This record gives sequence, structure tokens and C-alpha cells, in this order.
Amino acid sequence: MGAYRHFPVLMITIPMLGAVLLPFLGYLRKRWVATATLLPLAVSAVLGLLLIGRIPADGYLSYELGSWPPPFGNEIRVDYLGLFMMLIVCGISLLALVFSMRYIEREVEGPKLTAFYVLFLLLSAAMLGFTATGDIFNLFVFMEILALSSYALVAVAGNRNAVRAAFKYLLMGAPSSIMVLLAIGFLYSVTGSLNMADLSTRIAESSYSEVLIVAYILFVIGFGVKAALFPMHMWLPDAHSIAPSPVSAMLSGLLVEVSAFAIIRVTFSVFGSGAENLIGGTVDALGIFAAAAALFGGIMAIIQKDLKMMIAYSTISHIGYIFLGITAFTAEGLAGAMYHVLDHGLAKACLFLCAGSFIYVKGYRRIDDLKGAWRQMPWTCFAFAVASISVIGVPPTAGFISKWYLILGNIEAGNYFYVFVLLSGSILAAVYCFRVIYYMFFQPPKEGAWESRTNEASPSMLAPIWILSFGTLFFGVFSYLLIPSLLKAAAFLL
Amino acid sequence: MRLLHNYHYIGAVILFCIGLYTVIVRRNIIKKLIGLNIMETAVFFFYISLGYVDNGIAPIRVGGADPSKMVNPIPQALILTGIVVAVSVTALALSLVILLYRQFGTLDVDHLMRDEAEEAKEAGE
Repeated sequence: MGAYRHFPVLMITIPMLGAVLLPFLGYLRKRWVATATLLPLAVSAVLGLLLIGRIPADGYLSYELGSWPPPFGNEIRVDYLGLFMMLIVCGISLLALVFSMRYIEREVEGPKLTAFYVLFLLLSAAMLGFTATGDIFNLFVFMEILALSSYALVAVAGNRNAVRAAFKYLLMGAPSSIMVLLAIGFLYSVTGSLNMADLSTRIAESSYSEVLIVAYILFVIGFGVKAALFPMHMWLPDAHSIAPSPVSAMLSGLLVEVSAFAIIRVTFSVFGSGAENLIGGTVDALGIFAAAAALFGGIMAIIQKDLKMMIAYSTISHIGYIFLGITAFTAEGLAGAMYHVLDHGLAKACLFLCAGSFIYVKGYRRIDDLKGAWRQMPWTCFAFAVASISVIGVPPTAGFISKWYLILGNIEAGNYFYVFVLLSGSILAAVYCFRVIYYMFFQPPKEGAWESRTNEASPSMLAPIWILSFGTLFFGVFSYLLIPSLLKAAAFLL
Repeated sequence: MRLLHNYHYIGAVILFCIGLYTVIVRRNIIKKLIGLNIMETAVFFFYISLGYVDNGIAPIRVGGADPSKMVNPIPQALILTGIVVAVSVTALALSLVILLYRQFGTLDVDHLMRDEAEEAKEAGE
């Protein structure tokens, strides 16, 4: 019984506590707030790194809050996939935070600056709790913290469009949260339990199949809105393109993935393999929506004129890929979905931060304005190109590895149509990514657009961008570090 | 007969549908928020009715109280959390409504969204 047993709960509570204390610091010493935000997240990241190797791929670490034994008390349960997800959350939050230290002063000013950092920390803490909790009601509570802080972060700039986008997001997000709460009520009414592990054994024995099916559908709708799955995606393009760029990176690189991870939790840890014939129909429907999302997002991304809008639609398409991995119900598919969460998080965060640095340096949002940008901002443009290649899924980037496993998983499940969808999604991605790359590198700049000597973005903005784009290459080349354990963990979950 | 026996579930479902209808159909955003609150109330009502016992007593074990008469306290504890969450969502939503009204001078969803379409058209030209 080493001290590491306490690490998962500390990883959640330290940023949460930091978010509570930060306003006081903002009142006393305003200039330290940004640095003080880094500290709790860095502590969480270190604790998470120390946990690597302590959690076997086919096991989990359970923590009893207040020493109440699991079916009765609150449980925090971190398995291999949960730790994987928590480390992604810590890493990308830290990088987005470093980027925003310089960037955000341009969009948010005065007393709202402290509020921005508080909300940012709260969002990260809620995402950590959301992935680690083993109690289904706590899942709802963390989802609400996460949702509330993200509504506020979209609106933080305070201008017309930001407030409107945030309200649109809230009007879709709040009813979806209520549906999750109702689904939890249905589960509780027929099983009398709230602990996920306990629920899965009780669901396998339960005879109330209709109630369980309805509960599962409500879960899918509820988390589907948060994950922006195709017919429920309307809030995403506005919210992700109008929010300040580091926030877009958080929303697009982490929040939608974490919501997709919640569906993995509900599908495999709560309903589990014992209920496959129960939820089979819903999972099939989910697959159809996911395929539609992959194609729709790609086509819409091609016709966008605004760079951030294009990246946002690309996110919708990639959420479709992740769901196609889940609905395959095979170890390869699930491992591919988890690897895609990593790769998409890195690549999308990088793309949004690049878009942010274009906005910061030149104020350019439209793709047309980026013609010939590489002469003035070569580092940002090269990072953008690397991340785009990962979005398309070309080797040696991580995007290739995840797509490979998604396709393998769907072949094994016999869903050949979805294999076709995944491949055509890559072609669509190639179209919209290479258009931007072509403009950046091979087009002459527009009259007067890039003539005056402009500086590259500052090092504190370039460093996160380059770490992220280097990450997509690193996890593409050294995929053997993670893939075997992910396959084992996925097989354990199935 | 089972349906009549569980009449409180029907009440919750009707309330939930009224709320959802209001959120989707009404054009005034304050009314949408009221619909949201009705939906929340329906869910709270559903939870509380789960733990209801006829002539129930508080679940405190003193002096040989009959456990079968006790009300289930877990849904009540959960809904206490749920109410707190609902209040914070409503507060945030209302503050956004204030900002929206200051910026646009209207509470009509059609107006707000039509504005957006026009702005997009202007930006495209």
C-alpha cells in the first residue's frame, strides 16, 4: 500500500482546490495568477506520470472516498484507459495554458482575466474527475461542472458573437444534462445502485429490459450532445470558432473526447458485455450517426472560409471516427478509438493554437488571408502542416496508427461500409487540409497582406504549438509503446 | 392497472414533455429557460417519488423504528445536489440573457439567429 494509492484523488482535488483559491490570489497579486494556474495542473501531471506502470493494463486502482466500501460509498476507479485519458487532459491543458498566458490578454481584459484562469482550471479539474470517477452520479456532477465552465469560457470575451454562441451551446447542453440525470434515475429505479461496477452486475441480472434500453438511449443523447455527435452538433461550429483560441483547443482537443470517453464508460463499464443484446440496436444506430458525422463534417469543412470554422467542422468528422471505433465492439476498434483520442487531441489543439497565433500576430481569420504566410511565420506554418498531416492520417504521424486500428477493428466486426467511410473521411480531410497548406506555402501573398515585416509569434506561444505537433510525430513513430497495452486494456473492458 | 398504480411516473413524464416542448418551440429565451426548469423539476419529481413510502418515516433508527416504513434517503440526497446544479445553470443562463439583451436589444430567438445569418452574408460579400 504505497502512497500512490492516493494519487488519483489528489489529481482531481488539487486543481479543484486551486480553482477555489485562485480568486483570492487574483485579489491580492494579480500578476501571479497565470503562473499560479500552472502549478496545480503541473502537480496533477506529475502525479499522473508517477502512476504509469502502477496500473496494469488489465486491472484498475480503486480509491474509497472516506473509507466507505464501494457499493455504498463514492469510488474513484482509474483503469489503464482512465489514466491514459487523464494524462492527455493534463498535458493538453498545460500546453493550452502556457499558450494563453500571452494570448488571452488580447481578448480578455481587466478583472475578467482572473475569472478566465479560474474557469480554465475548473474545466481541467472537472475533466479529470469525469474520467476517473467510478460512481455514476458523480459522473453527472463532474459533467455539470465541466459544462458550466465551458459555457462561461465560450462567452468570456464578452462580445456579441461570443455571448450568442455560448447561449446556443447552453440551450443544447443543459437539456442534454437533464437527460443524463433522468437516465441515471432510470438505472437507479431498476437496480438500486449508483456504483458503476455494481451496476454492471445488477444490469446483467435485471429483468427490466425496456427501462434499461431507454436509459441507454438517454445516455447516448445526453453525452452525444456534449460530444457533438452528428445530428446534435449544431452548437459546436459557433462555440469552437468564436471562443478564444486556447479555449477552442481545450474544447475541441479535450472536451468532446472526454464526452466520447463517457460513452465508452457507460457502454462497456456500466452496461458491459452482459447487456450486448440489450443495447445492440442503439449501438447500431450510433454507428450510422457516426458514419454520417464523419462524412458530413468533412464535406462542411471543405466549404468553410474561416480557418477556425474549418477546424471545428473537422472535429465533428473526427468525433465520428472515434464513435466508429466504439461501435465496432472489438478490441482493435476500441484501442483505435482511444489512440484517436490522443492523436486528435494533440493535432486539433495544435491547429487551433496555430489559428490563434495567426489571429494574434495579424488578426487574420480567413483562409484566403493566409496565402504566402510561411514567409513571415515559418514556424507556425510548419507546425500547422505537421498537425494537418496527422489529421489526414498519413504515416509517420499518430493519425495513421489510430486510423489503421479503427479500420482493423471494423474489418474484424465485418462492417465493411464503415471501412469505406473511414477511408473516404481521410480523402475529405486531405482536401480541406491540403487546401490550407497549399495557400500557405505555394501561393503568392495577397496584395498588402504580408508585405510589412511581421514577427513570428512569441516563443511562449510557439513552444506549445511545437510540442503538440512533435507529439503527433512521436506517438506515430513510437506507437509500440502504447498500442499493446491499449489492446490489452480494451480486451479487458469488452 | 400497473400504470395507474404508478401514476406519479406519468406525472413526471408529462411534466418533462411540457418542459421539452417549451424549450424547443417557444421563441422567447426567458420562456425557454422556464421550460428548462420545468424539465429539471420533472426529473427531481421522478427521483423523489422513487423513494416514497406510504405513511413513511424519516430513515433514522431510534427506538425500534420499522425499516420497511422508512423513506429511501438516497434520491433525496442526490436531488439536493441536482437542485444546486440546476440553480447554477439557471443563474449562468440568466446572466447570459442579460448580456444578450444588452447587446442585441431583443429576447426573440428568431431575431438573434436571423441577425447571425445576415452578418454571415455580409462577411461573405
